[in-house]
Amino acid sequence: MTFNPLEQRGIPLDRQLRSWRELNVKPIDPDHCDPYTRCRIITMNGIEVEAILFSHQLARNTVDPEVKRQLARTRYIEAQQQKVVNWLLPGVSSVLETTIAYEQVAVDLTAWVARMEPDPYLKQAYQFGVLEDFDHLYRYANLYEMIEHRKAESIVDGLTEVMPGRPTRFHHRDPVDNVRDPYTKDETNPLSKLHALTILSAEQQTMNFYMNTGPTYMEPIARQLYQEIGLIEEEHVTHYESLVDPGETWWEQLVNHEYNECYLYYSFMEQESDPRVKAIWELHLNMELEHLHIACDLMRRHDGREPQEVLAPELPNVLTFEPNKQYLRELLDTQMDLTTLGAGYVREQHERFEQMQEQIHGGEEPPSDRVMAEHEAMFGREYRIESEGEHPDPDLREK
Amino acid sequence: MTDLETPQAGDDGAQDLDVVALLIRQHGDIRNLFDEVESSTGDERRDAFRRLVRLLAVHETAEEEIVHPFARRAMPGGAQVVEDRLAEERAAKETLAALDDLDTGDPKFMPQLMKLRKDVQEHARAEERYEFTHIRRSTDVTNLAAMAKAVKAAEAMAPTRPHPGVESTTANMALGPVAALVDRTRDAVRNAMGKNG
Repeated sequence: MTFNPLEQRGIPLDRQLRSWRELNVKPIDPDHCDPYTRCRIITMNGIEVEAILFSHQLARNTVDPEVKRQLARTRYIEAQQQKVVNWLLPGVSSVLETTIAYEQVAVDLTAWVARMEPDPYLKQAYQFGVLEDFDHLYRYANLYEMIEHRKAESIVDGLTEVMPGRPTRFHHRDPVDNVRDPYTKDETNPLSKLHALTILSAEQQTMNFYMNTGPTYMEPIARQLYQEIGLIEEEHVTHYESLVDPGETWWEQLVNHEYNECYLYYSFMEQESDPRVKAIWELHLNMELEHLHIACDLMRRHDGREPQEVLAPELPNVLTFEPNKQYLRELLDTQMDLTTLGAGYVREQHERFEQMQEQIHGGEEPPSDRVMAEHEAMFGREYRIESEGEHPDPDLREK
Repeated sequence: MTDLETPQAGDDGAQDLDVVALLIRQHGDIRNLFDEVESSTGDERRDAFRRLVRLLAVHETAEEEIVHPFARRAMPGGAQVVEDRLAEERAAKETLAALDDLDTGDPKFMPQLMKLRKDVQEHARAEERYEFTHIRRSTDVTNLAAMAKAVKAAEAMAPTRPHPGVESTTANMALGPVAALVDRTRDAVRNAMGKNG
């Protein structure tokens, strides 16, 4: 890998604004697209949403009006990038269909990051989280067949298995146990910073999506399942954002954001199968290179430091969407019964966890269990895709 | 594809007390049949396509007889919403008629099928978003259930899938041309609606 974003120049900012005609992108075909093209779109939308929200927060904490104006200029372009990326999703897809694609992203993106993460504590955080996304995919897949008579397979297309993970009812932990310990910014591998930012952005977008689209359903079980899983997405944002060193300055964080966008657009450009979408990744990479330079200048000016001090010497190995079936099966075999205690992980159900469980369930079955019962009543079976054999955990094989 | 078979709307264990839920599932069934036609070849494709045509005919006829008239009457601005849906249906029917004249092995078949699939999918989502939501809001549970019953009556009169022990695939395919099927479905629906009130 020789691509170094710090040494490349992109499109000058004053030539990045697009007209309505250029913003009006043709969406992908939901019935014939590469599922990982849709995953890349959903990921980059989450990344752009985080870029916009972060820049707004930074602007609200900035006194100098000239800097505020500079942030506004880049941010408007990022808002256009978000429109182009997310508008690649087709209007004919239902919310539930898109939800299943979001969960495929959560599973295969988090699993890949867990595999590649060099720091053992951070790796554990991703391994822990991915088993929950995996179970959400399974619950939503069953809801999808009930409401639309469609199989999740028509979306994930054999790339991702669909079967129980850590049961969703156990994801509701006391909020204090969702806070992790952060990495140390000056000691950690620069790749770890990119991983944390990528996963927290994806989970944040998932949280936003469920909190806004969940109530558009009329079916009571759908409304309730979105509420339940929506709350777990909040736990996941807490879990992943607490991995980031809070000692990073605003400008350092800005540089990390822009660098990560370069990294991801470059990665996706390298592997994109749809030429039209690939052209968008390439264009956006060329825009991001300039955003990165602007951010680096701001960091030099305000922190009096060189961005090279906090960034990787060269772009890491490309982030890849690919099947992670065997890796996930290993985790299913070894990490199903974990929960968190403080910033660590335990196997026993401790008192604080049990109290939370008792209060939130209130003696009733949660929506994630009721969706399975309702599905069973309708079809006399569950919906699963176990392409690599039966479930590794004998207790979770279909009865 | 896995071996799991999703039964068609009306054949699953749902109580079907809500016409909208039933029709949304039928939209999924139609989409599944498009997948089946696309992924098969030869006689299998021919058979899947016949089933698709029948289901489309029954489904659209039932909507025209049951759901659209209700929407036209009961919703503010309903006439325009229904007019838009009917225009989409007419366009889809024209593509369907053109397809029906082709053999499934004809090189022109797949491009035409893709066009039909796109039209049908857009039409189905437009119904779900601009018509069905209003129907659920503007009628009571009794009416939703009565309409569901009428849709199921239409299906029973014109089965789109061979029911075990009742008829073979060949018999199902021999039921005749689409126009006759539409007539028979319409009669069945009117009968059921008459009985229901």
